Amino acid sequence: MVALARKTLLYEWRRFLPAMVAIGFAGLLQLLQAGLVLGIFGSASVYITGSSADLWVGYPGTQSVNLGRAINPDLAMLLRTDPAVVQVEPFYWVDADWRGPRGTGGESVFVSGIDPRADAMMFSKALPPALRARLREPDAVIIDRADIGKLGVQVGDSAAINGQRVRVVGVARGLRALGGVNVVSSLDTARELDIDPVDAGRPTYLVARLRDPAQAAAVAARLRDRGGFGPYQVWTASDFARRSVLYWMLDTGAGAGVLFLAGIVFLVGAVITSQTLMGAVAGSTREYATLNALGVGVAKLRWVVLEQAFWVSALGLLGATVLGVAIIALARSQDVPVVLDVPITLACIVLALGLAAISGLVAMRSLRRADPATLLR
Amino acid sequence: MNGVAMNEAAMSQGPASVHADRGPTLVAEGVCKAFISGRVRTQVLDGLSLRIEPAELTLISGPSGCGKSTLLAILSGLQPVDRGRVTALGSDLGGLDLRALERFRLLHTGFVFQGFNLFSALSALEQVELPLDYLGLGRKESRYRAVQSLDEVGLRHRMRLRPAELSGGEKQRVAIARALAKQPDLLFADEPTSSLDAANGQMVIDILHRIARTHGTTVLCVSHDPRLIHHADRVLAMEDGRILSDTRPANPVAPLAGSTP
Repeated sequence: MVALARKTLLYEWRRFLPAMVAIGFAGLLQLLQAGLVLGIFGSASVYITGSSADLWVGYPGTQSVNLGRAINPDLAMLLRTDPAVVQVEPFYWVDADWRGPRGTGGESVFVSGIDPRADAMMFSKALPPALRARLREPDAVIIDRADIGKLGVQVGDSAAINGQRVRVVGVARGLRALGGVNVVSSLDTARELDIDPVDAGRPTYLVARLRDPAQAAAVAARLRDRGGFGPYQVWTASDFARRSVLYWMLDTGAGAGVLFLAGIVFLVGAVITSQTLMGAVAGSTREYATLNALGVGVAKLRWVVLEQAFWVSALGLLGATVLGVAIIALARSQDVPVVLDVPITLACIVLALGLAAISGLVAMRSLRRADPATLLR
Repeated sequence: MNGVAMNEAAMSQGPASVHADRGPTLVAEGVCKAFISGRVRTQVLDGLSLRIEPAELTLISGPSGCGKSTLLAILSGLQPVDRGRVTALGSDLGGLDLRALERFRLLHTGFVFQGFNLFSALSALEQVELPLDYLGLGRKESRYRAVQSLDEVGLRHRMRLRPAELSGGEKQRVAIARALAKQPDLLFADEPTSSLDAANGQMVIDILHRIARTHGTTVLCVSHDPRLIHHADRVLAMEDGRILSDTRPANPVAPLAGSTP
């Protein structure tokens, strides 16, 4: 079989280049947008995804991890009595006001009070043991390196949180918060910084590690609704992370905006790609008409156009992938939160191929002009 | 299905390609065709009847606008008639739907147009092989037939070249090879020499004439080029949608034997 579609594409690549570029950039836009959305909104759950706990216990109805309320510390007993649980630790969340030493004014910060031991669960993925050990010093805090400018401090500087003196003992990566600044301290320091009398030294969450993480859902279910501990709720870590991300995505309106933008990108991509493909196909109208005169059916000719659309998109996406990897590397080096996983990348590729298929179908319309009778003039 | 078997199957659906004395292969009876452009209705063909015989080169000549291209389109099944009846190889073309017409053209007809209409990305050999692929021939059979056809038009040594590397005359010969490789019973040519110089025009009409003689093909050529009249076995002069005369030149210039250099 003579590979008409591929040979034409190779030989007349200039005619197809605009379509390739259009598909490539549409794919790249979708991918980067998805990466940014996941990255930005994913940071809403950094407390959960950056830790190694399997279960989270918090106030009932908590929609996002940053919206927790104090719970009964005795719940730790309930957790420890369950045979599946191997480790339990508290997590303090304090909304606080930061005053830097160089007159940066007030800054709203989220203080995360964690257990600084090397085998503790909270932020076990975000803070290396040596760094978290420094939190044992009194009034010690750690900040994200991207927030250094915002907070107006360097490592070793002192500042004030809720009017009490703290000292920056280190910087970490991957602690950027959504809608504020994360500051990490030890449990003791956090309790001192918490000036809300309602909290009264009670933790915001209790987290637990299980012998078998695969049992998380079952253990969470059997730990719910035990009386005598006041209001509480148990989530698996993945459920609670999803809950937090979805809250930010949907309830803030940002998610709808992103979906809308994705639709626009798809539409614009489809229009540009189909127009450029149509132009490329129309350039061969007379040849297609001749094939049709020789008895090659219109249906078969349509396949040639679809095949061309497929190759155009494959090449466009290949270019987009190379460019995308470079852009994501650049973004990461600048601490721009971009997260890409395999399902999302695949979804973007499928979307771009769908865009190419639609463009190809539209481009087939130019075959209507390939009426062999018009060649007899 | 292997290539050879398909080839035989294809051949058996039409009358055997070789030789004459079996009556006309193309018959038009009372054919009418009009074109409507806005409010203006132009009657191009009005009750035209004719019969075309196999194994000869029939030339329809006439000034532009006389309806000869329309007649070709109708006889080849590219356009339907308003009224009348066209029979090709015993099939009533009016009774075939679009798909059946495409199938009929695939199996039985070849076309040569004024513009060569070759794919710029394909070599001469691939241009000729392409329709054979759709005919369902095997790879080997396609290649064999394509090379044979290119040999017959004297382009075997140029078969790896793309259109951009071929002269106008050579391109038209590739187009003829493309039509010929299908081993059609009917070969239609529309102004095949109009964009060629005298020498190349001569060569092209010679090849068409020889195809009619050696393959028993019905070759119907439409042209206003007066140089072709002496090469045709039969000349139909057309004007205003009617056949004015039907003559057979006493001693048509015989095609050169063997392949063209």
